[in-house]
Amino acid sequence: MARRYDSRTTIFSPEGRLYQIEYAMEAISHAGTVLGVLAKDGVVLAAEKKVTGKLLDLSAAKDGGYGGSGEKIYLLNSNVIGGVAGLTADANSLVNYARTAAQRHLLMYNEDIPVELLAQRMCDMKQGYTQFGGLRPFGVSLLYAGYDPHYHFQLYHSDPSGNYSGWKATCIGANNGTAQSLLKQEYKDDIEVKDAIGLVLRTMSKTMDSTTLGSEKLEFAVITLDPTTKEPKAKIYKPAEIDALLQKEGLMKKEEDAEMATA
Amino acid sequence: MSIMELNGGSVIAMVGKDCVAIAADMRLGNQALGISSKFERIFPVTDRIYLGLPGLATDVATLRERFRFRVNMYTIKEEREIQPETFAHLVSSTLYEHRFGPYFIEPVMAGISKTPSGAVKPFIAATDLIGCLNFAKDFVVAGTASTKLYGVAEGLWEPDLEPEDLFETISQTLLNATDRDAFSGWGCIVHIITKDKVVTRTLKGRMD
Repeated sequence: MARRYDSRTTIFSPEGRLYQIEYAMEAISHAGTVLGVLAKDGVVLAAEKKVTGKLLDLSAAKDGGYGGSGEKIYLLNSNVIGGVAGLTADANSLVNYARTAAQRHLLMYNEDIPVELLAQRMCDMKQGYTQFGGLRPFGVSLLYAGYDPHYHFQLYHSDPSGNYSGWKATCIGANNGTAQSLLKQEYKDDIEVKDAIGLVLRTMSKTMDSTTLGSEKLEFAVITLDPTTKEPKAKIYKPAEIDALLQKEGLMKKEEDAEMATA
Repeated sequence: MSIMELNGGSVIAMVGKDCVAIAADMRLGNQALGISSKFERIFPVTDRIYLGLPGLATDVATLRERFRFRVNMYTIKEEREIQPETFAHLVSSTLYEHRFGPYFIEPVMAGISKTPSGAVKPFIAATDLIGCLNFAKDFVVAGTASTKLYGVAEGLWEPDLEPEDLFETISQTLLNATDRDAFSGWGCIVHIITKDKVVTRTLKGRMD
């Protein structure tokens, strides 16, 4: 009878819990880490890639339009980038939903969708799957890094239950507790993007279980304001650019990273 | 009075040597009454594709936004710019979705497409209001002055015009054709698209 309250998402257990949602969250805490830091003049996202190997064909990722390998970091709209942790198939469907929602907003109001509204739209959808019978919830947590003219740069997190919250720095996926306590120690309120990039990469290198940090295991993106147009500019780094960045930050190897921490 | 002639307006596109041109008048009317001489009916779709929407003004605004929606979705999913040929079919299918209650627009598009070898190929196309595509090799016309535009363009257009000569040809064609149409005119806008730049010029026209 242990499965009595497990088989349907819509049924509360006697303790008032929804097991399927808790299992979905559990699935995410084994997924690749995604980490975001909100800075004064932008937002930085980094993600750990889980699907790797030398037989994996990455030729499309090298010179793809927006860069990245498209496993975990996606452009959701011209003013929002999303980082996903969890079931990749569910994530693809949610990313598509987010992009459509953003374009629907543009069609209706002739303005880019505000970041919180996009998070809300996604959560309305996610919440629906925890209440209406027979369907499992989305096994995906997302980070939304974006800009809108009203609240400027923002970082949101949403989970499978349909909860969302805004953060200065947060982490989802494997070892998110470790990363979050590291971020709590190191985060400063008036941090700038150039320092946030270092913070994200340092935290990432300590959280990931692999020994070396390189473009084959890492995705990286930054959203800032274009200095001339004052419009948000989302940049998802290409593999070569990630390696160049790690070189610059001196984080190509784990050994060097240990020095950084003591310094 | 046909709904296609309510607001007036005409668009023309022409092919040149490694370049294309698209031009439209700037009149917005209510039947014979002129309302505005600053009405834009040509819009950029990408850096290399321009779309002209002659017809009912409310549908000009609506279709412009709907195409922006669909092109943005294409760009973000495919992670590359849409090609003119693909865009033409997007226009066609969008219009045919409304086969039995159509938008009152006859789109004209002009662009430069890249061949796999890296060379450029000029592209123009037009559709009727339910999306029947016309891929022409020389020029396409649409709008209230379309019959006159056909006549003048037949006389003036020749193959392999350089950008500056193409500008002269399309401008003279449009100005002279719209002078013979009461619902088009009141100034023109001309875009000359080449592989690395777009030149946009506005022309004065007769105000009668």
